[in-house]
Amino acid sequence: MTPANTTSVKPQGRGIRQTMSDLHTWAGLLVGWLLYAMFLTGTVSYFKDELSQWMRPDVPHQRVLPDAAVVAQNVSHQLTTLAAGSPQWSVYLPTERNPVVNVFWRNAPTDVKGDKGGNRRGFEEATFDPATGQRLKARETLGGEFFYRFHFQFHPLPVLWGRWLAGFCAMFMLVAIISGVITHKKIFIDFFTFRWGKGQRSWLDAHNALSVFGLPFHLMITYTGLVTLMAMYMPWGAQVAIKTPAERAQMSAQLSAFPPPIKATGDKAPLASIDAMVRQAQARWGANDVGRVSITNPGDAAARVAVTRGEATRVSMSPQYLLFNGTTGELLDVKDNVGAAAETRGVMYALHLGRFSDLHLRWLYFLVSLGGTAMVGTGLVMWTVKRRSQLPDPARPHFGFHVVERLNIAAIAGLSVAMTAFLWGNRLIPADAAGRSATEVDLFYGAWAATLLYALGRPARRAWIELLWIATALLTLLPLLNALTTSRGLWHSVAAGDWVYVGVDLMVWALAALHAWLAIRTARHKPKLKTKPVRAAQVAAAAQTSDTPVNARLNEDRA
Amino acid sequence: MAQVRRAARLNVSALVSRIVAAIGGGYVVAALASVAVLALPMDKSQAVITGMLASFAIYAGAVVWVFAVRSAWRAWAGLLVVAAPLALVAWAVSSGLVTGGAA
Amino acid sequence: MMHLYTFAICLVGFAALAMATERQQEALFHGVSRVRTRQYRRIGWTALVVALGVSVVNQGWGFGLVTYSGQTSMAAGLVYLALIVAERRRSR
Repeated sequence: MTPANTTSVKPQGRGIRQTMSDLHTWAGLLVGWLLYAMFLTGTVSYFKDELSQWMRPDVPHQRVLPDAAVVAQNVSHQLTTLAAGSPQWSVYLPTERNPVVNVFWRNAPTDVKGDKGGNRRGFEEATFDPATGQRLKARETLGGEFFYRFHFQFHPLPVLWGRWLAGFCAMFMLVAIISGVITHKKIFIDFFTFRWGKGQRSWLDAHNALSVFGLPFHLMITYTGLVTLMAMYMPWGAQVAIKTPAERAQMSAQLSAFPPPIKATGDKAPLASIDAMVRQAQARWGANDVGRVSITNPGDAAARVAVTRGEATRVSMSPQYLLFNGTTGELLDVKDNVGAAAETRGVMYALHLGRFSDLHLRWLYFLVSLGGTAMVGTGLVMWTVKRRSQLPDPARPHFGFHVVERLNIAAIAGLSVAMTAFLWGNRLIPADAAGRSATEVDLFYGAWAATLLYALGRPARRAWIELLWIATALLTLLPLLNALTTSRGLWHSVAAGDWVYVGVDLMVWALAALHAWLAIRTARHKPKLKTKPVRAAQVAAAAQTSDTPVNARLNEDRA
Repeated sequence: MAQVRRAARLNVSALVSRIVAAIGGGYVVAALASVAVLALPMDKSQAVITGMLASFAIYAGAVVWVFAVRSAWRAWAGLLVVAAPLALVAWAVSSGLVTGGAA
Repeated sequence: MMHLYTFAICLVGFAALAMATERQQEALFHGVSRVRTRQYRRIGWTALVVALGVSVVNQGWGFGLVTYSGQTSMAAGLVYLALIVAERRRSR
């Protein structure tokens, strides 16, 4: 492999593989830290419901789920007083993974109730115990939803900004995948004929191995991720073609399981039996496959009830629901199919979220996604390992290298510390503290910022090792903290058959072991600094005479 | 020395040009395609969705292509060659000259 | 239970394909043989097709394909990991 000429004017003869390699490296490096965070929080989000349960220890363990129809009826009855005057209620029925009833209702247009800042909230929410039908008193927390909302909109960034940023990163990822495959064209053939070398080679091998075995998943998850927010990223077709309210309603029917709003008449009329409506849905889809009950204009003569199918029995999120007249209970419409393109989008959306998964599939999603996280991480680290071996003076790297190295430490080791700190906050912040949900989030970002400062203050290698050990310690002690601050420690959960709590505690210990292993491996790793003095002088001389930015060249040693 | 410096500056501006072509030009091509697809004899809602679904592949393909070709000039030329007919169809669709399928 | 069977078949499939490669044959059998290469490749691909079939027959196309994709990714990764561990042990 001939070394690239640093003073060449035209990149002639560099070849497609070299340019694709450069494109891959830059695309990966520029957004790598954000991508790592998106990947890790996305991975964790596959178990967000379980995490949410763990983060609300004051909600008792639900052993048996009561019948969905009964639950829906009870909660609707509560809402006639709790949410009177609201134009729309949404009742999310309990599932095995999320054994509570989450309810959202829109505030009436004239209702100016809001938070202290005087901002009018668009909707209110409440959580109900499905067994008793009563409102649940649980500590205010985002639960696992925080990692989920961080993943695709970097909560608490303004929603539009966060989603655009996530989409930007996702496009870079897509380009990185394509350019990565072109660079290593024989990637599948080479799969079993790796060379597990030492030093920078082993990082390259790890990155390649993780990239290849997860390639179908990474491609799928990246593309489907973009599809979930495609209406925001590419609204142009809709803007041109969908203009009249009728067209908008038709378009909406292809994508959304919320039926079109209709005007309230102003005449009061009681709601018909929600129980009966849900039973019709259960007869059609199965006793446990009713997802949501949405009631428009409750208490009005023009009330409508949409009973939406659950997500567990099909690999698609395309809208399927039964529409009832809210006052008579008459079945008005059965929505059970959409057009081919809409169904394709529904399938892609479902593939990304993986909500149809049973436990086995969910673990597959989690593990392969974790592999993807490691792929991004090894890519970031590999850049510094490679560049270090090319530095003229490794003790004084140039500014760019310094920045990348410290950001790597904070983005990778620091993120583990921050996410664990979030869980620590959940147990330490008093359950009745005001605004504790926001405080938990603040603790996450505060811890993350602290790790960046730590990484800037310590020698790089020590920072890696120390932060990994800090993460290990925080993770190891978390189940102990759980046992000390709640009545749902590990032994209690095992005795009570509360496998979600057992699972979270054990998973935390497994992650602690992983971080310990990483810390030990890092401590043993000796960076390769052997650059021949002649070559070092050449590089230094070239750097002084040319303005060419030092492109990150990925020298592929294997054909 | 001056020649090397000038050559290096050309290199940087060529790179910047490609980056603009990739990020900006690529998006424009994908967006135009997502509108042009409405000219196909397909139900309008389905056409809109199809356009959105395909747009990311087109965008990514354009970005890779911009960096794969031999010069920044070729990159821009290629984008324009693809964008021009798409823009024409997109304009025709948006001004109602072409209606594609039923609503 | 069925998941375990299909996963095991995927593991066998990838292990066979791995052992069919030149590099692994050199390491394991100290020589490449065309017959062995063909045999192992056949076993490997057959196993992977069978796993797909069982998955789809059991769960339908939607769930079957998704399960299969997840299991093949995981199985490929595990076989790869095993090869790395074996190689490092050999070179010690």
